[in-house]
Amino acid sequence: MPAEFKLPDVGEGVAEGEIVAWLVSEGNSVEEDQPVAEVETDKAVVEVPSPYNGTVKQLHYEEGDVVPVGSVIVTFNVEGKDDLDAGPEPDETPATDAEAEAASAADEDADTETAEAASAATSDSGRTFAPPSARRLARELGVDLASVSGSGPSGRITEGDVRAAAEDGGESDSDAPKSAVSKVTDEGGADETESAASESGDAAAGGSVEPAEAAGREKTLAAPATRRVAEELGVDLDDVPASEEREDGAFVSEAAVREYAESQQAAQEADAAAVQAGDTSKSGEREERVPYRGVRRTIGKQMAESKYTAPHVTHHDTAVVDALADVREELKPVAEERGFRLTYMPFIVKAVVAGLKQHPYLNSQLDEENEEIVLKNYYNIGIAVATDAGLMVPVIKNADQKSIPEIAEEMRGLIEKARDRSISREEMQGGTFTLTNFGAIGGEYATPIINYPETAILGLGALDERPVAEDGEVVAKETLPLSLSIDHRVIDGAVAAEFANTVQDYLENPSMLLLE
Amino acid sequence: MVVGDVSTGTELAIIGAGPGGYVAAIRAGQLGLDVTLIEKDAWGGTCLNYGCIPSKALITATDVGYEADTAEEMGIHADVKVDVDQMTTWKDGVVDQLTSGVEKLCKANGVNLVEGVAEFESENKLRVAHGGDGQGSETIEFEDAIIATGSRPIEVPGFEYDGEHVLSSRDVLDLDHVPESMVVVGGGYIGMEISTVLAKMGCNVTVVEMLDDILAGYEEDVTSVVRQNAEELGIDFRFGEAASGWEKRDGDIVVTTENEAGEEFQYATEKAFVAVGRQPVLDTLNLDAIGLEPNEDGHLETDNQAQTDVEGVYAIGDVATGPMLAHKASKEGQVAAEAIAGEPAALDYQAVPAAVFTDPEIGTVGMTEAEAEEAGFTPAVGNFPMRASGRSLTTGNDDGFVRIVADEDSGFILGAQIVGPEASELVAELGLAIEMGATLEDVAATIHTHPTLSEAVMEAAEHALGHAIHTLNR
Amino acid sequence: MTETQNLTLVQAVRDGLRDAMAADDDVVALGEDIGKNGGVFRATQGLHEEFGEERVIDTPLAESGIIGTAVGMAAYGLKPVPEIQFSGFMYPGFDQIVSHMSRMRTRSRGRYTLPMVLRAPYGGGIRAPEHHSESKEAFYAHEAGLKVVIPSTPYDTKGLLISAIREPDPVVFLEPKKIYRAFREEVPDEPYEVPLGEASVRREGSDVSVFTWGAMTRPTLEAAENVADEIDVEVVDLRTLSPMDEDTIVESFKKTGRAAVVHEAPFTGGLAGEIAATLQERALLHQEAPVERITGFDTPFPLYALEDYYLPGPARIAEGLRNVMEF
Repeated sequence: MPAEFKLPDVGEGVAEGEIVAWLVSEGNSVEEDQPVAEVETDKAVVEVPSPYNGTVKQLHYEEGDVVPVGSVIVTFNVEGKDDLDAGPEPDETPATDAEAEAASAADEDADTETAEAASAATSDSGRTFAPPSARRLARELGVDLASVSGSGPSGRITEGDVRAAAEDGGESDSDAPKSAVSKVTDEGGADETESAASESGDAAAGGSVEPAEAAGREKTLAAPATRRVAEELGVDLDDVPASEEREDGAFVSEAAVREYAESQQAAQEADAAAVQAGDTSKSGEREERVPYRGVRRTIGKQMAESKYTAPHVTHHDTAVVDALADVREELKPVAEERGFRLTYMPFIVKAVVAGLKQHPYLNSQLDEENEEIVLKNYYNIGIAVATDAGLMVPVIKNADQKSIPEIAEEMRGLIEKARDRSISREEMQGGTFTLTNFGAIGGEYATPIINYPETAILGLGALDERPVAEDGEVVAKETLPLSLSIDHRVIDGAVAAEFANTVQDYLENPSMLLLE
Repeated sequence: MVVGDVSTGTELAIIGAGPGGYVAAIRAGQLGLDVTLIEKDAWGGTCLNYGCIPSKALITATDVGYEADTAEEMGIHADVKVDVDQMTTWKDGVVDQLTSGVEKLCKANGVNLVEGVAEFESENKLRVAHGGDGQGSETIEFEDAIIATGSRPIEVPGFEYDGEHVLSSRDVLDLDHVPESMVVVGGGYIGMEISTVLAKMGCNVTVVEMLDDILAGYEEDVTSVVRQNAEELGIDFRFGEAASGWEKRDGDIVVTTENEAGEEFQYATEKAFVAVGRQPVLDTLNLDAIGLEPNEDGHLETDNQAQTDVEGVYAIGDVATGPMLAHKASKEGQVAAEAIAGEPAALDYQAVPAAVFTDPEIGTVGMTEAEAEEAGFTPAVGNFPMRASGRSLTTGNDDGFVRIVADEDSGFILGAQIVGPEASELVAELGLAIEMGATLEDVAATIHTHPTLSEAVMEAAEHALGHAIHTLNR
Repeated sequence: MTETQNLTLVQAVRDGLRDAMAADDDVVALGEDIGKNGGVFRATQGLHEEFGEERVIDTPLAESGIIGTAVGMAAYGLKPVPEIQFSGFMYPGFDQIVSHMSRMRTRSRGRYTLPMVLRAPYGGGIRAPEHHSESKEAFYAHEAGLKVVIPSTPYDTKGLLISAIREPDPVVFLEPKKIYRAFREEVPDEPYEVPLGEASVRREGSDVSVFTWGAMTRPTLEAAENVADEIDVEVVDLRTLSPMDEDTIVESFKKTGRAAVVHEAPFTGGLAGEIAATLQERALLHQEAPVERITGFDTPFPLYALEDYYLPGPARIAEGLRNVMEF
């Protein structure tokens, strides 16, 4: 009777093995425990022994194949059993159970004749000796009578035998081993978050609320039901971003209406939550409950996911930026004349871009599903902004191609939009690296959380005069504390330090930016 | 029906109301299916109307007459007169009682009865032509169908049944007088049973058989008991001869036969009864419409749920393969009905019993000794002669025996052959033993009533085990 | 527990008529071949023997006469149940129907009502020649003063027929002959009513509502099952076409927002249009797609070789459902 042999779990959470060499050929007879193959796992090469006495019927893989644990690698013909057409899967275990049953029956009787008869009950002539009621039960339970060993006199099959066989068959089916390393659905999670975010109108990056821009049309085509939905939700159909062009006008689907309404709703809820959170004047209450919803919750989810997925390491350093301060002072009036406000941020963006060009691993993303690190050749720098609605991260796309004034202007525009919640989803997507300027509020160092799925984030402390040791003396200098958090799966501490050094170079020697 | 064709819908259409069809119909009705049973002739089919039942009625009637006539030894003196007309009337009464019983049972189980000849129009439509009265025809749309159209007697070329000189089994059960003489063509069970009936009525019977023994398929020691008794009844046997023709002569007929060597023989007789076998009735069904073909023997192949190659179409009884016996048809009918109703039924019987109602009777079930050996068993055989049975002797019979065949190693009973009084009944116990997977010990250890013929069964089992009481163990 | 019998639709007609006649001596049946012959479809089998020739009347072949006589009987106080052998033969009696049967109440300012039920087998699917497959319920629905009832199951048939006979006003009772004997159902022995003017939701669903009646109910349910893994179909059997159960129809449509109507009657002027108009009147804002009309074609009913193309079957209905969903 054919018996399958699955690649066993050799422990240590190994998921697969490579068949280095077969130690038997098809047709060979084997003894129990005789090694049949050499298998290499992540850690070592092991010999895999045969569980049966019998002959090798079929080898299912070639040398060099990588086989998941639990796959059938060999089919044996087990000694002493006919090749019966018994049931769907010739799984060895029920037969051995039956043998054990028969053996124990033999023991009880202490009569070898009975033992022989036990096998006779099922196989010798192809006849089964079972009363009609047992036969019917076998049909109902899907048991193949030929594989049942009878416990009745002379091996007659009883109802009890049939029931026992039905249960055995179920137990002996081994499930696929669960030791296969489950690729934790990080990717899936990311996708989920992204799509969930897009469904609810939230940006993927930064988890911020994004009320879509009102379309402001004069006429909109919509199915009657859609009109009703719009009315119920208090949405002006003409404002809903159009799904498509139909016939001669903009058409809005019910889904589009709902999406638009939700984004409005979420924004309002966020407002309400923020207001309520600030309200501690409830008298007589020891606790106050603020709904954890909308934007806050979305941000929370994002942060948790990022922190729990990527092993964060934060590298701290301080840039001495007198030179930069001077440059800015020099250029400030020029900027004003040209009509824009010049802060440090555009310089920092440029410095960071320069650093990323030299240290591409900080401008990357980990594709766990495909087991690849994606190094990006474009530089979309996200600028984290604190708004009334929460944290938002508008993105300056292709910062490497923009001049400092362009960056400055764009940044100002984005931040304004973020603050009055007219920023679009696109404007907050696609970031490759993020800057978070908590220093604008205050503080020196922090341990920022990476803006998932990016792999690094640079936190900026307050740019201030601080004591610096130089040439043996302590002097007051303009300093900019840097807190660089990196995903240690992708970036090692050494690389992070190098990047930080590079960025610092540019910040401390701003004229270098002219070369970029 | 004036214009147009309003089809009748049904879940299960059964064609043929014999022991296969009507049993299937009743079972299906019990299981809640909407069943339509279609019959072209008489409810109960051949078995009830022209076969099993009437023949057994006549066998009993003629037995009574014969026994009474030959019981002088027991002190019974009788002057027996046979009124065949009345016998036939009584027989018809029995048949009618059973036929109407079938109708009532069917109706009681919610079966719709339709009279007419059915043929397939498509895979889910039957066309039924009603007989007589200009009733026209109707369409029946079905989900599943069971073909149970049974069999008809094979006609020997040159011996077309005319009901007057050349009789079929149907005709011979409707005689209005005792024929002077009868040539019976065919020494099978039908030929032998009828020969016995005729002989006991006083008819001069000659059995013409192509093979060299009667009852092909039964073992020699079984058939020899029956043949010897038949000869004692006055039946002449002509073996190795095939009937080749007949002609009228002087108010009677002459039947000509030929043997292998080419020699011809002639038999003057009042009538000839031809019983050379039966063939399945499938030609009226238009099986082409559903793409179903019989195998080369003319039967329909079926699986273990009696389903044919065409899904939803089942075949039971004589039209299907297997022994052409009414009880096999009934079992197939039950299984088919249950399968159609969604139950996990299957034809997994271990043995089909058979009986020949000659004098003495034959009852067999399961394997013969030779068959057991061929199947790989080492047979243990037990014999018990009827002459050692007290009860048998008290019935005035000392012929025959009970033989049980079992597997020597395990003791499982594999088959039995019984010749003697009530053999047809006695064999049931052994049929149960085989189905149950009972051993010789089980049968031997069961107390059987004394004095009955069934003790012979018990003793045959004991004999196989080497410790029979009323016969020598060798 | 009431006693029931497993009856076909035509047997339920017979049973309902019989019970009505047994309960009320004023109920009288008349028509061609209904007496001694028991009706060409056996719808009146045994009634002649049970109730006699005064109450089960064999008429000459004269539809106008049959209906006109019934109108007179009804005005006089009897409760006649005239039968027209095939609904396609109602045309010779059409004048009696629309000029008198429908108007007696209004003509007499309510003094006379006509408690009569005009029965006729209707619809195609029986391989018959011309005039035997008509489905013109729209003619009668359009005539004020008439009720139009079309059952689709044996249980409903008996109950609706008894309700119709008890109605003080005239009812046109069209019986789907294609399914006269197609299946059986448990029907209580005792008389019972199924209310007129009430539709029945045969199958609940949430994606699309299909409105249908008569012999089309079964293929519609079959189509609904066939597409069940794509579309969740609600099937509503109208049972009474006039007055139509607008509330049930609209309620169903408000739930799903999409509708289809299946009838074997021709497309133009068929009641599908009426239903579509009603839906958009009462539930426009719920509408997500045009109402799909799956009907017979604007041709005379074809001879039987093409019958299966003409009558909506499960495949054509399923296609129509997909159309509605994909709008």
